[in-house]
Amino acid sequence: MEVFISAVGFGVVTASLLAISAVGFTLQFSVTNVLNLAFGSVMTGSGFIAYGLNSSGMNIWLAMIIAALCGGVISVLMNTLLYGPFVRHGMTLFGMVIVTISTAVISDHIIEAAVGPSFFSYNAPAGKALHFADFLLTRQDLTIIGIAALVTLVTQLTLQHTRLGKSMRGLSVNASLARACGIPTRRVVTLAWFGSGVMAGLGGVALFLETSTFSATTGSDFLIVIIAAAVVGGIGSARGAVLGALVVGIVTEVGAAYWDPQLKDVLAFAVLIVVLLVRPQGLFSQLSTERVVVG
Amino acid sequence: MKKRDRRIAVGGLVAIALTTAAWGGSSKSSTAQASSASASRGALEIAIFHTYSGANAAYGPEAAAGCFPAQKLINAAGGVLGQQLQCTPVDAKGDPADSVPAANRLIASSSSLVGVLGGGSTDATAVVPLFQQAKIPIFSTTGQDSFDHSTASYFWRILAPDGAQGNAMAAGAKKLGYSKVATLFGNDAAAQGSAPTAISGAKRLHLTLTASQTLAIGQPSYRSEVQQLTAGNPQAIITEADPQTSATYFAELSQLGRIPVLITDPVSQEPTWRTAVGGAIGKALLDKQDYAVVAYSPPTTLAYRTYTAALVASSTQVPQPAQWDADLYSVADYDSVVIMALAMDAAHTTKPSVYNGFITKVTSPSSGAVVVHTYAAGKAALAKGQHIQYVGAVGPTVFDRWHNSGQGFAIERFANGKWTVTTLLTAAEIRAAAGG
Repeated sequence: MEVFISAVGFGVVTASLLAISAVGFTLQFSVTNVLNLAFGSVMTGSGFIAYGLNSSGMNIWLAMIIAALCGGVISVLMNTLLYGPFVRHGMTLFGMVIVTISTAVISDHIIEAAVGPSFFSYNAPAGKALHFADFLLTRQDLTIIGIAALVTLVTQLTLQHTRLGKSMRGLSVNASLARACGIPTRRVVTLAWFGSGVMAGLGGVALFLETSTFSATTGSDFLIVIIAAAVVGGIGSARGAVLGALVVGIVTEVGAAYWDPQLKDVLAFAVLIVVLLVRPQGLFSQLSTERVVVG
Repeated sequence: MKKRDRRIAVGGLVAIALTTAAWGGSSKSSTAQASSASASRGALEIAIFHTYSGANAAYGPEAAAGCFPAQKLINAAGGVLGQQLQCTPVDAKGDPADSVPAANRLIASSSSLVGVLGGGSTDATAVVPLFQQAKIPIFSTTGQDSFDHSTASYFWRILAPDGAQGNAMAAGAKKLGYSKVATLFGNDAAAQGSAPTAISGAKRLHLTLTASQTLAIGQPSYRSEVQQLTAGNPQAIITEADPQTSATYFAELSQLGRIPVLITDPVSQEPTWRTAVGGAIGKALLDKQDYAVVAYSPPTTLAYRTYTAALVASSTQVPQPAQWDADLYSVADYDSVVIMALAMDAAHTTKPSVYNGFITKVTSPSSGAVVVHTYAAGKAALAKGQHIQYVGAVGPTVFDRWHNSGQGFAIERFANGKWTVTTLLTAAEIRAAAGG
């Protein structure tokens, strides 16, 4: 039982890492319908900004906040300078996937050219794990769980109780109708990209803190698991992304504790397939089925 | 506005296409340019066919740190049969889906290609047959057992295969006096090569295996695996995994317990591995706990000193050259280039299909053969009509009928900025692990 409880605790930490990014990924997708596969590159770029600040002596948590804001700016620039023109030109959903893949490849190579083919670590020791009943967590773990909870709460409250959130939800259901109703779609889309970029930045730094080391491709390497969490939860739903992250995180850790560790991914993706067989739209999807990209 | 958007969109697409082509096809264009330049100068081309991008982007620079010093020394000695030698980086990308077309392009585009350094664990089985068909010698650093009895006549391997490495790691744990060990290997091809023999070796030597874990590489967390491992309280961990996986695992191990002695392999001597793991758990702790079991290459020999001097002098092609001076893969690649050059001299031709048959003639011990440690000395001896045995920076290279070589093993530790030999493993100790 102790092993199981520990594994669940570890799964919650992994889920928190995934949730921060998955919420950002799904927020932007729900508003714009652009499946941004360069999301991992924004995570990496922000992670390196935090590395630069941390290396010059800044506290890692302050560096994380600044890097997250930079991630938001990078994300907005990515949309404004690159994706937006394609979308306004009438690019299809599939066409945009190709554009975002190309952007991811180019971005990762540019980062690699800038920082070199090495590995980097923050100057932020996690410290020894502390016992909470049968849970074993470091202070760093607890902080990341707190960040994930805060990000989810703020996103959920924004979507449910603010004019901006209502505009985002309106845009996600029917962009043309939202525009006709006077919603400033361009501004809402820009804010969605900014929010997504901020969460990519937070998620990137949190991920790199937990993995203890990172390189120019680490963010992109983890993108598939982040997307899996978003898909399980239902693309477009913040609470769905959190639930999806919990499913993926806990299944992988409990699977590693009781099964062959090398097959932990297999177990997680098997669960994903079962969920999608039962609920093809994911656990909490709120999206309409007829979707066009919005720029 | 719409027209402007269209222009931007089209321009953006073109930019993406061009940039992607430039990155993705950089190896192609650089190869083609280098080839045509080489051809015009009459230079002989050695392709450094390794990974220069992605997660294993350090493999290319690692091999370059062997090739360029050899190029420098060979050209300083007047070149090969009057022709200069040119090392050409070609991005193999490490994945057969990419490395096969890259190899085909290399073979098709370069008329002056005389040899290849390449074929890592992830793509050797895919690309070796291509160079075999093209009759180009390829010196590989793969450790895969499938090449232990390879019939590919153009395949050459200087370093010991993974199977021997695994046995040596088990023997190393025994020699260091540990009786309770755990094994920890990544599930990638490179790490899995030595895992079976490390485990079987530990059992044959009657070591208690407290855990035997195969890790899914590149995960955000390994805490459940770490908890299982610490429950067994091993004295030492016999391990090989990529830098990212090792760093994450050992950082979590230090959080949840303590890091026991690590019995590692040449991968732990790679600068990227030490940077990643040292950054994660602290360089001092890593240096204290790490015992690397590696092919023995005495650092005091003339060949090794010649290599390190040439490496330092190659800083224009090899950034931060000192980081590679103890990297066994770099050293082996240096010897590979020197051996190819001497074989060409011995064969009196640079034609790959001819000089390939002379490779063993310049490396095998024989009565009357002059032992040489540098290219210049070997070239001079060959010019006098003497037989030679090149004993390079990794020590004697004696190929068996399947073109595999291998050295003795030593246990090394990193202290005061350099690797030093703690103890040598005898052939009997390794045989005991191998069950021979």
